[in-house]
Amino acid sequence: MTKKSVQIKYKHRLKFIFGSSAIQALDLVDRQSVTLISSPSGRCVYQVLGSSGKTYTCLASCHYCSCPAFAFSVLRKSDSLLCKHLLAVYLCQVMRACQQVSVSDKQLTDMLMEKK
Amino acid sequence: MAETLRRVLARCSAAGNREESAAEAGPPLLLLGASGSGKTALLFATALEVAGEGRGPVLFLTRRPLQSLPVGTRTALDPLRLQKIRFQYPPSTRELLHLLCSAHEIPGPAPSLLLLDGLEEYLLNDLGSQEATYLTALLLDTAAHFSRRLGTGQGCGLVVALQTQEEADSRDGLQVAMLRRYFPAQCWLQPGASGPGEHRLRVCLELGGLSPRTEWWVAFQPQGEMRITPIVHPSE
Repeated sequence: MTKKSVQIKYKHRLKFIFGSSAIQALDLVDRQSVTLISSPSGRCVYQVLGSSGKTYTCLASCHYCSCPAFAFSVLRKSDSLLCKHLLAVYLCQVMRACQQVSVSDKQLTDMLMEKK
Repeated sequence: MAETLRRVLARCSAAGNREESAAEAGPPLLLLGASGSGKTALLFATALEVAGEGRGPVLFLTRRPLQSLPVGTRTALDPLRLQKIRFQYPPSTRELLHLLCSAHEIPGPAPSLLLLDGLEEYLLNDLGSQEATYLTALLLDTAAHFSRRLGTGQGCGLVVALQTQEEADSRDGLQVAMLRRYFPAQCWLQPGASGPGEHRLRVCLELGGLSPRTEWWVAFQPQGEMRITPIVHPSE
């Protein structure tokens, strides 16, 4: 089985489980849109540059994304398991494909507050 | 954390049953009950339990200082345990958010239990559902960070108390539905028929997943002590 056919097989499986957001998530991974931001304390947060150009905050520790789709489709309607940004984060974790940025503890606090 | 509350209730209801060691904290727990239903007393009993386990301190967050320390449990108010409970009083939602966002900057040993009493006071009317979700996510992320600092097998428990209204409107319903998604374990406190000078309530604890619901009667005596008796259903 060639690498290309492996990719196609997994793409179908992802699409079967996560629907259309699977392909969009893979696109975000390909475009290196997922950044892991960590500080010396060991705490970390993910930022994902969405296709709209907006940056969303994801907390992988508890399944949270700041995008409107997560609030509506995942939390309110429960018709999706997750949004494309969270799926891109999980895919990047498995594929070790995150951009990595180190910041100070204080900067991480400001980033988490800024999300508010 | 549900496991610890279950241990508190089980231990206080059994005569001197001490073999249960400090098991793993269990999933984050949402404690639901009307005003005055005893949520703070149960939170405090849980704080005393964990403070006595020889692990990290307990971080107890609430809007205002407790008017009196709930006498509560069989565990005497041992000064050594009380010293390990750190009370903090974030006066506003923004202050609470900042406390959680900067938790990784707190020096010293990581807490082994994070408690928040009165979440409803921070979910104000103008707090949209996304802010409420972010506040909830930060509580979990903060407990997860403390767990990482404590090391494997030592997780930081999380218990959040929320006052429920009898006539909850649809917006509360949405918020509670969102909260239940993040808190797989829930515990309800429902008022029960009380004797003279006594305040009695039924405590229903669901750990989430397939584990069965467990129930207790909790009776607060005039001086505040808690008397806890398990409710055993005929089928069991």
